[in-house]
Amino acid sequence: MTASTFTIAGRIIRQLVRDRRTLALLVLVPLVIASLVGVSIPEKAMLDYIFPAILAVLILFFGFLLTGISFLRERSQGTLERLLASPVSRLDIVGGYLLGFLLFALAQTLIIFFYMVYVLDISYRGELWQILVFQVLIGAGAVCLGTFFSVFARNEFQMMQFIPLVIVPQIFLCGLLWPVSQMPDYLQWAAKFLPLTYGVDGIRALMLEGQNLADIGLEVGVLGAFAVVLLVLASLTLRRNSPG
Amino acid sequence: MTSITTGAIILHQMKTLTGDAAPAAGAAIAIRDLSFNYGRLKVIDGLSLEVPPGTSFGLLGPNGSGKTTLIRLMVGLLKPAGGSIHCLGRAPSPAHARSMGYMPQLPALYQELSVQQNIEFFARIYGMKDKMQRSQRVEEVIRLIDLWSRRRTSILKLSGGMKQRVSLGCAIVHRPPLLFLDEPTVGLDPELRAHFWRHFEELTSSGTTLIISSHTMDDAAHCNRLAFLRQGKVIAHGSPAELLAAAGSSCASLEEAFLYFIRKGEAPESDR
Repeated sequence: MTASTFTIAGRIIRQLVRDRRTLALLVLVPLVIASLVGVSIPEKAMLDYIFPAILAVLILFFGFLLTGISFLRERSQGTLERLLASPVSRLDIVGGYLLGFLLFALAQTLIIFFYMVYVLDISYRGELWQILVFQVLIGAGAVCLGTFFSVFARNEFQMMQFIPLVIVPQIFLCGLLWPVSQMPDYLQWAAKFLPLTYGVDGIRALMLEGQNLADIGLEVGVLGAFAVVLLVLASLTLRRNSPG
Repeated sequence: MTSITTGAIILHQMKTLTGDAAPAAGAAIAIRDLSFNYGRLKVIDGLSLEVPPGTSFGLLGPNGSGKTTLIRLMVGLLKPAGGSIHCLGRAPSPAHARSMGYMPQLPALYQELSVQQNIEFFARIYGMKDKMQRSQRVEEVIRLIDLWSRRRTSILKLSGGMKQRVSLGCAIVHRPPLLFLDEPTVGLDPELRAHFWRHFEELTSSGTTLIISSHTMDDAAHCNRLAFLRQGKVIAHGSPAELLAAAGSSCASLEEAFLYFIRKGEAPESDR
C-alpha cells in the first residue's frame, strides 16, 4: 500500500460524501429492506436465522453495485485514462477503491446492524468486531467483483444487467431462505462455487452459534482467496475498454 | 582545452540522459518508425518525429488522422506495435510519468468534487507530498485558470469552458517539463482560446515542451512547429512559416498549405 492508495481511497469517500442524495439512499435503502423483512416474517426464530444472511447479502450487493458503477464512470469520464498516464500503479488504483469502499461498507454494516438489534430486536451471539471483520472480507470480494465486471460493461445499463446475472443467483443459492443442504445435488454443487454461500455460512456461525473467526477458517480462507484472485484479475484487466 | 573538456562532459551527460538507443541529442521527443494498429486498422503507420525542447509543437490533422492515438502512445497509455518513442530521452513508463502532464480530450474530472479537490487530487497523485508547497501550488493554479471564486463549486455545476480550464489545471499542477494536450481548445470561445494560448506561450518560454493536437488552423498559427498528420503519417512538418513557404505562393493560409500537402501526397499514388 502506497500513499497513492490512500489518496484514491480518500477521493472515493469525498465523492460519496459530496453526493448527498446517493449517500442518503445508501443509508435508507438497506434500512427499508431490513424493515420489510422484519415486518413480513412474524416468527422471531426465523428472523434471527435470516438476518445475519441479510447482512452478508446487502454488503455483497452494495459493494458490487457501487464499485461497478463508480469504476465504469471512471472509465467513461476519462479519469481512469488520466490515472493510467500518471505514476500510480494499477494495483494502487484497485487498492484505493478497495480501501475507500470498505470503510464505507463498514459504516453501512454498523448502521444496519444496530438497526437490526435495537429497532427490530434481533438476537445474536458472537462479538461485534468479529462480525465486522467478516463483513469486510465479504465486502472486499464484492468490491473486486464489481471492479472486474465493470470491464465488461460500456454503460450503466449494461452494468445493471450484471446484478441479475452475478448477484441474484448467489442470493437464491446461498441459503438465505432455505438451507443449501436441502437443495437438489446439482444446486448444492453450484453453491459451492459462489462466494456468498461461504459469506452466509460464516456470518451465521458467528451470529447464531457464537463461534469465533478461528472456528470458521474455511469460510474466511475461501472469501480471502476469492478477493485476492479478483483483485489480481481486476488489476490486470484495468487497461481494457478505455475510450478512444 | 577547456572547451574540449566541457564538450566531453556535455556529450557524456547526453549519453546518460538518452540511454543506449540514443535519439537525436537534446530532443524532448524522438519518435522513429512508429506503428500502431487497432485490429487490422493501421492507425499509426511508420511515423517519425522529433520535437525540440521548449517548443509548442502542434499535431494537426483531420479527425481519425491518428493525433489522439499518437498522444496516447507518447504518454505510455498504448504500446507501439513497432518503432520507438523517447520522451526526454526515455521510453514512456510509469516510473517517468511524473515528468509528463496529460490533458485528455474529454475534460476528464471527478464530477462530484470541487475545482480545488480535483486539482489537489492530481497534485497528490503526481507525488507532491509536501502539504504547504502543494496547497500553495494548487492555489496558484486555480488563480491561473481564473476560477478562484468558484474553487469550491462541483465540476457538475461548471460550464464547458470552465471544465476545460480545470482539466488544464490538473495537467499542469505538478509542473511537468513535458505537457501533452489533446485538443485543449475545442469548445472554447475566442477570448478563452486567447487566454489559453497566452498561458501556453508562458509555459514554453519557461522551458516546458508542449505537444498540442488540434484540427483548427487557428491553433496551428500559434505553434512554434507543426506536423501535418494524415492516415497515421506525417505528411509535412516545420515551422508555420516554413510550411507556408514550402507550399508555394498559391497558399495564403496554413489551411491551404495543409490541403496542398494532402494533394501532393496523393498525387503519385493516383498516377500508378
